[in-house]
Amino acid sequence: MRVPPLVLENIEKVRTGEDGRPRRILQQVCMTIPAGRITVLIGPSGCGKTTLLRIANRLEDPSGGRILLGNQDIALLDPLQLRRMVSMVPQKPFMFTGTVLENLQQPFVLRKQDPPSPTDPSWSQSLAMVDLTHEYLPRQAGSLSLGEQQRVGLARALLCHPQVLMLDEPTSALDRPSGDRLARSIQGLCRQNHLAMLVVTHDLWFAERVADDVVFLDEGRIIEQGETAKIFKDPQTEALHRFLLYPPKVGGCL
Amino acid sequence: MNQTVIVDPGAANLAFSYGMILLVVGLARLGGAGREKDLFWASLRMIVQLTAVGFLLRLIFAVRSPLPTMLILLLMGAFALQVMGGRVTSKVPGFYRIAGISLLFGCGGVTVYFCLLVIGASPWYSPRYLIPLASMILGNSMNGASLAVERYLSEVRERRDEIETALCLGASSATASTPALQQAFRAALIPTTNSMAAAGLVTLPGMMTGQILSGTDPMIAVKYQIAIMCAIVAGVALTAFLAIHQCRKVCFTAFHQLRDDFFQNN
Repeated sequence: MRVPPLVLENIEKVRTGEDGRPRRILQQVCMTIPAGRITVLIGPSGCGKTTLLRIANRLEDPSGGRILLGNQDIALLDPLQLRRMVSMVPQKPFMFTGTVLENLQQPFVLRKQDPPSPTDPSWSQSLAMVDLTHEYLPRQAGSLSLGEQQRVGLARALLCHPQVLMLDEPTSALDRPSGDRLARSIQGLCRQNHLAMLVVTHDLWFAERVADDVVFLDEGRIIEQGETAKIFKDPQTEALHRFLLYPPKVGGCL
Repeated sequence: MNQTVIVDPGAANLAFSYGMILLVVGLARLGGAGREKDLFWASLRMIVQLTAVGFLLRLIFAVRSPLPTMLILLLMGAFALQVMGGRVTSKVPGFYRIAGISLLFGCGGVTVYFCLLVIGASPWYSPRYLIPLASMILGNSMNGASLAVERYLSEVRERRDEIETALCLGASSATASTPALQQAFRAALIPTTNSMAAAGLVTLPGMMTGQILSGTDPMIAVKYQIAIMCAIVAGVALTAFLAIHQCRKVCFTAFHQLRDDFFQNN
């Protein structure tokens, strides 16, 4: 299956601040998330990374610019169809009341479709990708650790076979070996399924480990973007240089 | 059956009755609760309002035209809207339109059904029936709808992560907000369900008590009470249902997004 790239053209987002004045969250953001590659978005807290994911998933609309999936403007697509093609896993994925199995079947229940059986081979594959086994299925999802819940959230997205997968801080509750396994898994997933992947992270170790391309966002603007080695070894701007030297301490592999 | 003699309380009886309020005012002053002025003015307001309504009803009962009855009902509806506006602390855009439509079709629809098909008074606008019955249905519907709207908005706020996760997983806004809607509807029905369950055991309902005091046979009063209870539950349920369904439309965009101008991101 040929998966189209996700192209962001001149994305702008303006919100009204607490003081009632307009606040520019994103400014002239242009980037391409190609299929079969992992694009990692880095930047300080509050620079607009999560907002960008929400816009690409149409949980909110941009104030300006457009997003193309292949050649189609996503504003013209049915948002429900779009969200089935472009999946987003938030930093703290919400666990619905019930077991892990029920949580994994929830997307199908919400779409009023018959959920696939756990004996389906795609289940073993999706669970293995995120380091989970079938033994987790009867456990209450709410009783899992945050790291386990993140993995259930990721497996839940994978079971829906999206074309574009967006992950928000996927390692914020993982230790380094788990983060390493996750990096290998999503690289395998991206290559095998030729997925377009966009990962937001504060964790520079994970970013360098997993990314094909890196985009550095600061105060809502793209400051630098390019291939991983170039971004990490040869930053062209003072802002990126400083960010790489003093990365934020929030989250990241333990 | 013997004609029951109704005791008409005279000025002295009412003065004795008001003495109880003065006792409470005195207690409030003595205990330093500091609410004696509010209590005093509220009691005066109650006397003036009820006396005015009494005279007004006498006038309307004497007129052989539906117009004054309709005007009174409209006025009551407008006051109900004003009370709802004061009670619901976080208002959605177009709150008064939503509340007005819900009261008109929910409470109004049930009142018309009840008066025409259940009571079948003649003439249809008979103010002796229409005004008190409509006021009971309206009062309860107003409370139910206020509870429903308030609860729905707080549920959506509290369940924001759950709703947005469901939206991300491809659910429509209607499906994603169903748990919030169910909770709100349940909350709206709790007071009327409780009063139905307690009727006759814990309290004798107001209308039935009034009819018995005015000399009506208790069994007729009971039949009226059963009928009005059913109408009240239907009025509350329909008004609350219409209110929260309209709220849901306002809280989400046509593109199945939570309105971020109303539910600001943290």
